Amino acid sequence: MSEVAKQPMQVDVDRLQRELEAIVGPRRVSVRAVDLDTYSRDMWPRLLIAYREGHKSPHRPHAIVWPEHVREVVAIVKLAREHRIPIVPYGGGSGVCGGAVPLFGGITIDTKRMQQLRSVSADELICDVEAGLSGERFERDLARRGYTFGHFPSSIYCSTVGGWLATRAAGQLSTKYGKVEDRVTGLTVVTGRGEIIETDGPNRALRGPSWTQLIVGSEGTLGLITSARLRVSPAPQLRVFRGFEIDDVAAGAEAIRRVLQRGLRPAVVRLYDELDTLMNSFGSHDEPTEGPEGHDLHGPVPPVESGALPAWPAAQPQRADGVVDRLIALAKGKGLRHNVMHAARGHSQLVNKLFGAVAEKVARRGCRMIVGLEGSRIRTEVEAALTFSELEAAGARDKGEDPGWAWLRHRYAVSYRMSPMFRDGAFVDTMEVASSWERLMDLYHAVRAAIGQHAVVMAHFSHAYADGCSIYFTFAGTAPDAASAERLYDAIWRDGLEATTRVGATISHHHGVGLLKAPYMLGEHREAMALFEAAKASLDPDGIFNPGKMGLRPPRTTR
Amino acid sequence: MTLHDELVTAVGVDHVESVPGEPDSHHRTWHVKPGSAAEVAEVIRRAGQHKAAVHPLGVQGRLPRPDPTRPRVLVSTRRLDQVLQLDEMSLMVHAQAGITGLELERILGPRGLSLGDYPPVVLTPSLGGIIAVRTPGKSSARHGFFEDAVVGVSAVLADGRTVHTRVAPRRSTGPDLSRALCGSEGTIGFITSAVLRIHQKPEARLLAAYVLPSLNAAVSAVYLALREEAAPSGLRIYDTAEAAQHFDGLALPADHALLCAATAGPTDLAACDRDLITSAVIAEGGSTADEHLADLWWRRLRGGEPTPGPAPSLQVMATPGKLRAVYRAVIAQARVAGATARAHVSRFDADGAVMFFTIQRGGHPHDEAIADCEHAAEVAGGWLLGARAQKLDRYLDALRDALDPDRIMNPGTLS
Repeated sequence: MSEVAKQPMQVDVDRLQRELEAIVGPRRVSVRAVDLDTYSRDMWPRLLIAYREGHKSPHRPHAIVWPEHVREVVAIVKLAREHRIPIVPYGGGSGVCGGAVPLFGGITIDTKRMQQLRSVSADELICDVEAGLSGERFERDLARRGYTFGHFPSSIYCSTVGGWLATRAAGQLSTKYGKVEDRVTGLTVVTGRGEIIETDGPNRALRGPSWTQLIVGSEGTLGLITSARLRVSPAPQLRVFRGFEIDDVAAGAEAIRRVLQRGLRPAVVRLYDELDTLMNSFGSHDEPTEGPEGHDLHGPVPPVESGALPAWPAAQPQRADGVVDRLIALAKGKGLRHNVMHAARGHSQLVNKLFGAVAEKVARRGCRMIVGLEGSRIRTEVEAALTFSELEAAGARDKGEDPGWAWLRHRYAVSYRMSPMFRDGAFVDTMEVASSWERLMDLYHAVRAAIGQHAVVMAHFSHAYADGCSIYFTFAGTAPDAASAERLYDAIWRDGLEATTRVGATISHHHGVGLLKAPYMLGEHREAMALFEAAKASLDPDGIFNPGKMGLRPPRTTR
Repeated sequence: MTLHDELVTAVGVDHVESVPGEPDSHHRTWHVKPGSAAEVAEVIRRAGQHKAAVHPLGVQGRLPRPDPTRPRVLVSTRRLDQVLQLDEMSLMVHAQAGITGLELERILGPRGLSLGDYPPVVLTPSLGGIIAVRTPGKSSARHGFFEDAVVGVSAVLADGRTVHTRVAPRRSTGPDLSRALCGSEGTIGFITSAVLRIHQKPEARLLAAYVLPSLNAAVSAVYLALREEAAPSGLRIYDTAEAAQHFDGLALPADHALLCAATAGPTDLAACDRDLITSAVIAEGGSTADEHLADLWWRRLRGGEPTPGPAPSLQVMATPGKLRAVYRAVIAQARVAGATARAHVSRFDADGAVMFFTIQRGGHPHDEAIADCEHAAEVAGGWLLGARAQKLDRYLDALRDALDPDRIMNPGTLS
């Protein structure tokens, strides 16, 4: 974990509670133990390892508060500033890097009661939305009005607009719509000075630095984003999805590069490496989550063609054909995937090698690719034809629409398959790094080797751009007890991120930094961290916002 | 050591020139031409020791009013004119700050590459100047904002430290630190080089011209096409008077507008975009016009031929929802002031577009009428050239204080 001190501050909780209640009323303040425990963590897998063993987080807030208006946020910040108490902004709690952990206690501000989609301007194609609105509700509200934000992270059911902005999140269709920072035109922020600032305006036309871009991605260390003006797009009239196979990862990456550098913009391009392709062929984790129709039991699945989000993420479909598939299907009847994961967790290097042999067989069939386009009817049709012909010219083999639609239908399922892994005593996490095309295969091999010495690892390439691409590594491991699991977990991240930095890639494409990657921020930004620290001194001079995060030096209040 | 000696030590005697200071100043001004980023760092570090003001000087640099209480060092980027790396696989170029956009285009062109569909006037300044100074219109509908093409910046801070923002297609490792430098006009750091996204030259480029029943209809047609996801490489709308001025007395029916459009990319996509624009024009009651109008517009836009008439007297940026209101307000205000106003609308991007007005009384520019029109444009929701978010000045001051407590970096700017 981060090198910073982790002792909670001494706070007169009764007094703090009274003063917070004076601002928002007694119903929107809590100091109850169960709430303090809930807000002591986010979904950082390292914390889940200890949580599974029954250990409570030592980092609990002193109080949680649910403001409904920016004026209340201002009053809370002024109160915190007066008492030098830390503030930790909290959205959906879906972060996977520990960014919402209240390292020094203090006040956790949950934004979820600020959840209005205030307006959508048809002329400007800009909406005004409060930070606490959940991603799912935001997208559904926009869809009802004929628009989309185009931002579909795996966490859309449990993350908020403010959380996306705080971490520079990416959605699954980022190749077309961009990341969240590409879609923001203005922010309303309560700074560490207890002031409201608005950063709106034609950002690239106004003189001076872009405050919007200096605050987006700051993970609550500079202030609290209370609302934002975001670009929306007309709801897509047409979606075209297809599956492809290609000989290997390098050929697949080259095919994607050719498409994007020709000026084509598919909504999504995903390339699975040999092992990820193999694992996808196995189907879902052996858990009784599927109903008779192969859909998730949690709720109905409306047709994806309707443009709506599924009511609840559905499980991955299962297919079986061909020699390898028959082997897989045979083994699967005995729970091979489950057993493989068990074996992998205990003997990762051996299993990585064994997997290599099986994966080679699969590789003869090729790596799986999913390509999808959406948008206005006419242009999407033309762009799809050009995209598919470019892929085929690069050696990709068209497998028809089914794999594409299956991915779209089940694209949120993966995040909900982690719980069974943790229940089984293992841990699983993902590492999303990115580089230019020139360094991409170096990045793939370096990180795969670094993680592979500790755990079973697979990868897919997604979030592709004309100048580079992100690689999403998934790894799973196990250890006899929580302490050794944490050591193993830390070693994986240390070696993976050091390998990333060595090849000149970035250590995070869209999950953010939080506590997890804070020790690597200096390696990422080097002397340029001075600019971040200057922004911190400007916007939060007393260092009350989210102290101990993102590699920023500990603030005065906690030194 | 004197400041002069320090500067000579940093860059060599051939690259330091003493220039006359201001009449009421006891301090001198030096013009320094460093030849590398390391020399820039040395110059700034040594200037800082003397608390001298450091002003960057590009191709078109304008100096702020001098501070008579301190010496000045004008740091030219003209010797920083090298391409440091061309990554043709990732379509990125790393170039020093002193090379101009047009010089860079001349290097990229023979390789089938380009900075993008930006008008030559945008690419005339040095790269450092293009990035460091924000003005409306550094954008194209097809390639977006020039600033968004910046994937990495190297700069020298007030204490002489050199910072390099990490190059990555996208990242989630804190704020975009290069955005502290873009638009900062040399007050946060002295930009020495930048890494830019570049593009392959398009396979096809198609031009078309249209006549529409009003400027409003032309604006509506443009946004109708853009919402159908057309991504033209250039668009320009002329009102009746402006069309007559630019196209040798072209006589459009009263209150009509001329729309010129260029599309580019893979041939099918360029044709698709052109067809989408044509459909939108027809939907708004317009029709196609003689193609040679579009040819002429494009040749002028790309610098092949001069544009007739005086330079526009007023530039106003407006968002898509405000363009029509701003146009109406300026035309009406000019009438009230006894002047005439004509305009073309160009530089369409996601934020809006830029309107270029020519305002005259008795055939000549009239300052009072222009000032009235500026006010009318602002009231109607437009943004004037050089607009600034002054309400955030306090935060900018604090940011500068943290990096540059002696305020040596381009003092007098952005304050």
